[in-house]
Order: sequence, then structure tokens, then C-alpha cells
Amino acid sequence: MLIKLAWRNLWRQKRRTILTAMALALALVLSLFMRSMQEGSYANNIENSAKFSTGLIQLQHVEFEESQSIEDLLPATDEFIAPAREMDDVERILPRLESFALAAAGDKSKGVMVLGVMPALEDEYSSISDKVVEGEFIKADDSAVLIGQGLAEYLSLAVGDELVLYGQGYRGQTAAGLYKIKGIVHFPLPQLDNLLIYMPLPLSQTLFSTGEQVSAWVIDTRELTRLEQTLADLKRAYSSQKLKNKVNVRDWEDLAPEMAQQIAMDKAGGIFMMYLLYGVVGFGLFATILMMTLERYREFGVMMATGLVRAKLLGLVVLESSFISLLGVTIGLALGTPLVVWFHYHPIELTGETAEMMLELGWEPILPMLLSPWLFIDQILIVLGLMLLCLLYPLWRIYRLDLVTALKGGAHVN
Amino acid sequence: MSIQTTQLRKTYNQDTDFPVHAVKQLDLSIEQGEFVAVMGPSGSGKTTLLNMIGGIDIPSAGTVIIDGIDICALKDKALIAFRRDNIGFIFQDYSLLPVLTALENVEFVMQLQGHSEKECRERAITLLDQVGLGEQLHKIPSKLSGGQQQRVAVARALAPSPRFVMADEPTANLDAKSTAELLDIMQQLNEKEGTTFIFSTHDPRVIKRARRVIVFEDGQLTEDRAQ
Ligand SMILES: Nc1ncnc2c1ncn2[C@@H]1O[C@H](COP(=O)(O)OP(=O)(O)O)[C@@H](O)[C@H]1O
Ligand SMILES: [Mg+2]
Repeated sequence: MLIKLAWRNLWRQKRRTILTAMALALALVLSLFMRSMQEGSYANNIENSAKFSTGLIQLQHVEFEESQSIEDLLPATDEFIAPAREMDDVERILPRLESFALAAAGDKSKGVMVLGVMPALEDEYSSISDKVVEGEFIKADDSAVLIGQGLAEYLSLAVGDELVLYGQGYRGQTAAGLYKIKGIVHFPLPQLDNLLIYMPLPLSQTLFSTGEQVSAWVIDTRELTRLEQTLADLKRAYSSQKLKNKVNVRDWEDLAPEMAQQIAMDKAGGIFMMYLLYGVVGFGLFATILMMTLERYREFGVMMATGLVRAKLLGLVVLESSFISLLGVTIGLALGTPLVVWFHYHPIELTGETAEMMLELGWEPILPMLLSPWLFIDQILIVLGLMLLCLLYPLWRIYRLDLVTALKGGAHVN
Repeated sequence: MSIQTTQLRKTYNQDTDFPVHAVKQLDLSIEQGEFVAVMGPSGSGKTTLLNMIGGIDIPSAGTVIIDGIDICALKDKALIAFRRDNIGFIFQDYSLLPVLTALENVEFVMQLQGHSEKECRERAITLLDQVGLGEQLHKIPSKLSGGQQQRVAVARALAPSPRFVMADEPTANLDAKSTAELLDIMQQLNEKEGTTFIFSTHDPRVIKRARRVIVFEDGQLTEDRAQ
């Protein structure tokens, strides 16, 4: 009966109830849309930029983070990487050996970054062969290299030319070699374009005399949402006695802290906007609930005189507010869900400068939406929290309601 | 079974420079089965008195003893339960819940007592029949006339089978015909069911129908007569 009563009470002020619910719904739709878009674009940025640099997760030697040295390596054996391969969420694993060296050709020389990779695997991940502007992409058993376009121009090199790499190898050995250029790659980021030399992993292991070792195992998860779990799994798998104090499992936030920070800032901004929006709507909800309470003081008095205990009266008001909030949430979800789902499967396509910039970076120029139950649950919880907040004062008023004054129709608190 | 007040007093704004002595030193005794009118001009303290003996207002001094229970000593929750089970209220403005039908209004207070839905339904229908609203069970208050609404209120007041019914100026908003109808019903219930009615009024036509009249002036009892 109390539920029936609460429900019918809602419709005594039809317009007010609907307006309040609609305002809640609108806030929910906007917030949900905004947050889904934000999280979607973060995921996109993370995945895209991971592709072209650090990957999502890397296994490194514990000292490598500090030293970036060719001395601090991990085994490149199947046995070592087997635990990671067995994980369901791991989509691909790329061994990389990276070190600095001096590149010389003719009378010019320059410090470069040599990246030993498994060409086919890298290409599958980041489609790097598409970026070859001259010559061909390398194969695993080639003894030739790919070179950044900027670097090639600086050293006045073309496909078919040779260059000398000179540096320090494993355990202080000298690393030196003469390599033919098989292809020239254009990297959108100038830092890379002027710096990078790709070579097959075996060739780089020979150059640096590392034997079967790598400086990083780059690990990519099937779903970005599974990153945390995978990270935890990897940490557990690589914390055995033998490997302890040897393997460092790092995620993209650790590998690219600037980006992590930028995302955190952007997210904070979005969440602030969201709370601002809910704050405004919250005032409306508060006003409605307060009015619902104050204008019915006499009625409450009569109910109490005829035997309704205070707790049930409080319950009645909570029920009424819950109905309004649920109405808002329901309308909001009914409108918001199709919207988010639609844009998840049909991402907004960007045009103009932004699009070109993204294309240049090798990214698809889209604004994807993240479809995550957590974002929905967040919104629902926020509305419920908002309602509870709005209820505090009205409930206190009822709690302090004086029967005699209420019956006389007054709203005074004793 | 009776209501007994001793040295009952109510002073509003007690601690200010202008205290209002709404009820002064009242000793009164009302037995079960009585049909009592409390008469007096506006502001004489009738509402205050009914509120105090109905367990709604707290006296400034003195006691109200109903069936040997000092209701002023009851805690909030116990008082509400006591009131619910022993005292029915009828208000001048009917005060029905606007969103509930006549039937639901009556059922609601019974459900608060913890009766089963079936019991509530049956008794509510019987009561509404008794007050002549057997045909109007499913109408909401705004679809009923003032007299009809007040009769629903009588049914509601009687639903929990209270020993006493307090009616504060129940006919003040009613026309002559409705007033007569309402009094007929109250009198019938009093005579047949033995329900005690204590009602305040300043309407001479209503006073005529009472069997005992308590005259109140300026918070004091000036006359207490049977008729
Ligand atoms: N809550 C209150 N605060 C102050 N004075 C009050 C209050 N309620 C009633 N009074 C005063 O007490 C007196 C008696 O009031 P009341 O019992 O309502 O009289 P009646 O019902 O006979 O008209 C009046 O003078 C009224 O102004
Ligand atoms: Mg009065």
C-alpha cells in the first residue's frame, strides 16, 4: 500500500515529476555519452600509440628502465616467454632488442636507435610495411636494414646503399657491421624518422653479440579492458624464485608517463564537467523533493495521527524520491544506451585537420565510443547518490516534524 | 474504560513574555460510550484539549489517563501505536489521502495495524456501507462531496476499532443537510456499536444532538451538563 501510495503521490504534480525525471535523464544521457566518448578515445589513443612505440606491456630486465643498457637483457627463449604465451588475454608477443649506435655513411655520421625486431610480427601489429616509401620491407633472415626517411636524407642514403653501424655490444664487446639498406620508412613522428633503424632480430643479436637475448618482450592484449588482469597475471607468472629480481613487468602508463598524465588530466576535466552537470540537476531534484515534503506537512501530520509511524513516513518519501530517480534513470538509459551502442559500432568520423593529423600518424580518424557496463553503472550510482544527498534535508525535516504544528498546517520545526 | 484528566494544563509560548494559556487546570472524566460535545467560541482551547486527550499534543502540566495508562509518559513510538489502536480522529477538513480511493483510505489505516488484506477489505467495505457510501468505494476524495468525504473520514476513524473518536469541528465545513446526515451516522454508531465520540463544535444544531455538553471558555470549563 505504501508503494501504491508513493507511486500515486508522484503523479499529483505530474509536470513537476516529469520535468525532474527528464532533467535527471538528460544529465545521465549527456554524462554517459561524454564519458563513453572520453574513455573510447583514451582506449584508441593508448592502442594507437602503443602500436608505434612501447606496446601495451613490456617485460624488461629490472635494471633496463634505469640503464637502457645492452647489458640488461632478458632471455629470448621459448621457455622464458612460454608463461605469457599461455595466457588467454595475450594476443601477440614481440621480441625486441634495442640499443644506441653510431651510423656512418660517407663522411657523415649520426647517433641512431637500432631496433632489432621480428619483421613479420611487427608488421602484423603496426602495419609498418605500409610506411615503406622506397625499397622493400625486411624479412627475418635478411642481413639488411630499414632506415627512417629523415635519417636517410641526413646521411644521403638511398635504397641499395650501405651504412656502418658502430657501438658497444654485450659485455663490453665492440659492435660493428656494414649493412645494406633494403627500404626507407617514413615515420610520422620526426623523432623516430630521424633516429630509427630497423633490422631483423637475429642480425641485431649478432651485431651486439647478445646471443639469444632481447631487451624487451612487447606484449599486446586482446582487449584493452583486460590490461589490468593481464598485467597482474604476468607479474605473478614472472615472480618465481628463479626470475625474481630479474623481470620487470611494465605497462604503457609506466612506459609512456606523459601520455598517462595527459589522459588523467583530460579525464579529471570530463568528470568535473559531469559533476557540474549533475550538480545543477541535483538542485532541481532537491527542490522537488523538498517541495514534495513541505507542501504535505499537514497530510503527514494526519497520517501520523492515524497511526503511520515516523519510519514509514520517511520510507514513503524515500520511495517517492526513488521512483523519480528510477524514472530518470530508466528514461536516461532508454535514450542513452542506443546512442552509445550506435556510436560504438558506427564511430564518429573526423574530418578536416584533426583527421589529417591522425591519418598522418597512421591512426584511423575516428572518435570511437567505449561500451562498458562500468560507465553505465557509474551513472546509475551517481544518480542514486545524488538522490540520497537531496533526501538528507527533507528527511531531517520529517524526522523533526512536530505533530501539532503539522496538523495545524504549519511547517515549523520545534 | 475512560479518559481521565487531572490538573491538565497547556500553555503555549511558556517561556516568553506572552504565554498563551490554552487550557487551564482541567479535571475531566469521559466514560466509554459517551457522546460528548465540547462547545466554545473560537480560540477557547477546544482543539488543544482534544489534541491532548487524543495523545497528539503534550500537556504542559497534569496527566491524561486512558484505561489506566498515562499516555503522556509514552514514548513516541509507543504513543503512535497506542493512538492507532485506541483513538480515531476526524478532522474539520476531512484530511483524506487524495490519491487513495475511499476504500483504500479506510484500508490503509487498518493495514498499519497489521491486519491482513482480506480483513481490511471486508471491514472497510462494511464501514463504508454503514456510513452510506457502499456505492462510492472506488472514488477518490475529489470525486466526493464534502459530506461524503467526511463520512469516509468517519469510516477511517472507526476502522482500527478505536475506543474513542475525537472529532475536531467535524461539521464546520458541511452544509445543514450533510451535517444532519453525519450526526445521524455518528449517533447510530454510538448507540449501536457503543463507540465513544468526543467532538468540538460551536454549531448549536450539533450541540442539540449531544448527550453531554462541555462548555469551554478561555481554556476553562464553565459548564458540564447532560441532556
Ligand atoms: N501552537 C500554538 N502556539 C501558540 N498559541 C497557540 C498554538 N495553538 C493554539 N494556540 C492558542 O491557544 C488558544 C486555544 O487554541 P485552540 O485550542 O486552537 O482553540 P479552538 O480550537 O477552541 O479554536 C488560542 O488562543 C490559540 O491562539
Ligand atoms: Mg479549533
